[in-house]
Amino acid sequence: MSDLLSLLSVGASAISAQNAGVAIAANNIANANTDGYSQQRVDFESLPAAPLIGGVRTGSPTRAQDNLLAKQIQTATGSLAMSQQFSSAVAQLETAVSGGGPTIDEQLGTLFSSLSAASASPTNSALRGSVVTAAGDLAAGIQRRAADVAATRSDADLRIRAATVSATALATQLAAANLAIAKSGDPAQLDRRDQIAKQLGELVGGQARVDGDGQMRYVLDGGAVLVDGSHAARLAATPDPTTGFAALAVVNGNASRDVTAAIGSGSIGADLKLRDQTGAQAAGQLDQVAYDLATSMNAVHTANAGLDGVSGRPMFTPPTQVAGAASTLAVDPALAASSQLLALAAPSTGPGNNTGALALFALGTRTVASGGTRTLGDAAIDVVANVANASAEAKDDATRDGLVSENLAGLRDSLAGVDTQEQLTDLARFEHASSAMAKVVSTINDMLGSLILNL
Amino acid sequence: MRITGNRLIDLTSSATTKNQSTVGTVSGQLSSGLRVTTPSDDPAAWVAAQRTKLRQVMSQGAGAAVATSRDALQMTDSSLASIASAVSQVRTLAVQGASDTYSAADRAGLGDEVHGLFLAALASANAQGSDGEYLLAGAASLTAPFDAGGVYQGDAGVRAVPSTDTGLTAGTTIAGSNLTAANGVDVLPLLDRVAAALSSNDLPTLRAALPDLDTAIRQISLSRSQTGAAMSSLDQTTAARSALEQDMQQAISRYVEVDTVTAATHLAKASQALLVSQQVTSHIIQLLAPST
Repeated sequence: MSDLLSLLSVGASAISAQNAGVAIAANNIANANTDGYSQQRVDFESLPAAPLIGGVRTGSPTRAQDNLLAKQIQTATGSLAMSQQFSSAVAQLETAVSGGGPTIDEQLGTLFSSLSAASASPTNSALRGSVVTAAGDLAAGIQRRAADVAATRSDADLRIRAATVSATALATQLAAANLAIAKSGDPAQLDRRDQIAKQLGELVGGQARVDGDGQMRYVLDGGAVLVDGSHAARLAATPDPTTGFAALAVVNGNASRDVTAAIGSGSIGADLKLRDQTGAQAAGQLDQVAYDLATSMNAVHTANAGLDGVSGRPMFTPPTQVAGAASTLAVDPALAASSQLLALAAPSTGPGNNTGALALFALGTRTVASGGTRTLGDAAIDVVANVANASAEAKDDATRDGLVSENLAGLRDSLAGVDTQEQLTDLARFEHASSAMAKVVSTINDMLGSLILNL
Repeated sequence: MRITGNRLIDLTSSATTKNQSTVGTVSGQLSSGLRVTTPSDDPAAWVAAQRTKLRQVMSQGAGAAVATSRDALQMTDSSLASIASAVSQVRTLAVQGASDTYSAADRAGLGDEVHGLFLAALASANAQGSDGEYLLAGAASLTAPFDAGGVYQGDAGVRAVPSTDTGLTAGTTIAGSNLTAANGVDVLPLLDRVAAALSSNDLPTLRAALPDLDTAIRQISLSRSQTGAAMSSLDQTTAARSALEQDMQQAISRYVEVDTVTAATHLAKASQALLVSQQVTSHIIQLLAPST
């Protein structure tokens, strides 16, 4: 039969257990608004031999967590960061190819319109001047667009370089968190590690998995391991001599693995996509438009004669190759200096002949661009349309990924979020139990007192 | 499913933000009148609108060419009318001079008068347009087409000009070669010859010139008919092009402009949704307040 002193011991352990519950509930409430915090709980266990000995004890606090859900959230985080960053970056690219003044197709329209007007009065110096001005504006417009696209790609490159530094720092922190967890198993450390993995996912995408040993491994798209337990590799950005942009590699000791083409999510993935795909395509298309414009116009222009009856002069400075044609496109300097050289007449006719003007005007509707498949205007529109399609898709992707992330956040909140009302109820429950046990202890104390007095 | 208080606030806040964004977007569309403000708003519509705009701008350029040509033809017709008048008067004077009742002195007087008409016709034939081009010079439009003797120095070149973004209207200029022997007689030298015949009392030459004057009148008349036909053709082109450009403008509007009624309906719906979400947010916060 239990004695009163044993019962006092039961009361003390029970008060201690209920107080632990109060502490957990209080901690949960305190962290109700902490990003990434998972609610904790404490399990009570009745001690054997009750009611003769009995009592209660608590285990270590446990953290509400679902590894599968955590993995889904981590993947969704990388996708959302990718789509949001790409949406933002491609919007800048869209502005570069279509914002801030007339688009290339509109400037082409102005050039062809001025040629049409000049065809009715080919010796009119004002109309000839309008053609040269329109050609100059078009060349300047294409140059500006090319420069803006290059600047957008450079901005993306700068962001990639900065993000690799952050990613390496986060990888180091993740490895340190793994080490701390191996030593303590503190739930707060687990939350912190998940947060680091989430931040890393926002930068580089990839996958974080927790293995049987409780250690997190972080693997990039393509399989390169960035963090393995307590060891972190480095994400390095080194200049690519061909492009001048940063090439990315996971450096682990002396081993280096190029991951530039492999990273397909996170904000780095978005900037890589903009820099190396969408932006590169836009730059290439601008070069092609500039090259096709100069070569087709020059072919007609050289075959016709200026007011002085001389033929064989180009309209634009002849490009040597497609690459870089947009950034160097310019009206032939001699023509820019004198619109008299504008070849609007057929050779060996009079200055009033407008065959050349009509031939130049006809280029507006001939398929002379993109290997003879597109008109110059359509090719110029294609440059913007491709970026616009990418931008529209990016907006849709961002919306979709946002919804997925929101849904997963709801699931996580359902599992691990802190509900203050729930915690306040728990708090009251633990408090009442603790008070009751205090009453029990007090009663036993009174009983012991009476017993001692009556002895 | 367990839904925490924070989650409830997040959900209502998110809904309010989305509804605010929708109200902002639709308000922007209504105030600007544009549904597509950047290409990515609707890439397909933007592409269609830009293609149409390009055609429209090229068509407007063609319109400028047609207008210039129409003005030049009007001036050409005026010159030809002056020449026709001079030739007609010369014929009258030549018929008078060919009469036996006229003396040599009378014919000399008529000769002076015809010479004056010749000079007037020559000036009309060498008339310049507003851009300084000689109207009847063909392609050699920077050089006076007729020399002092009325001999044609130009060529037979005539221009075509764009009538739309893809079409051409041919024969929008009249060359002075119409007034040369290639098409009948050399009109201006004929006048000079008549003046000389009158001045020198050369009746055989004068009488021989009378049929040529009739031919000259027909030549000029034919040229004026060509001019009128060209102007008529350009006028028809202008009417057709105007209708085409109007269609293009309507198409552009359809592609990128907002439908006011639809947008206003969307705005009303979005505003209502925003109001409701704001009220729900307020209610949720009040609901959670006692326990937080």
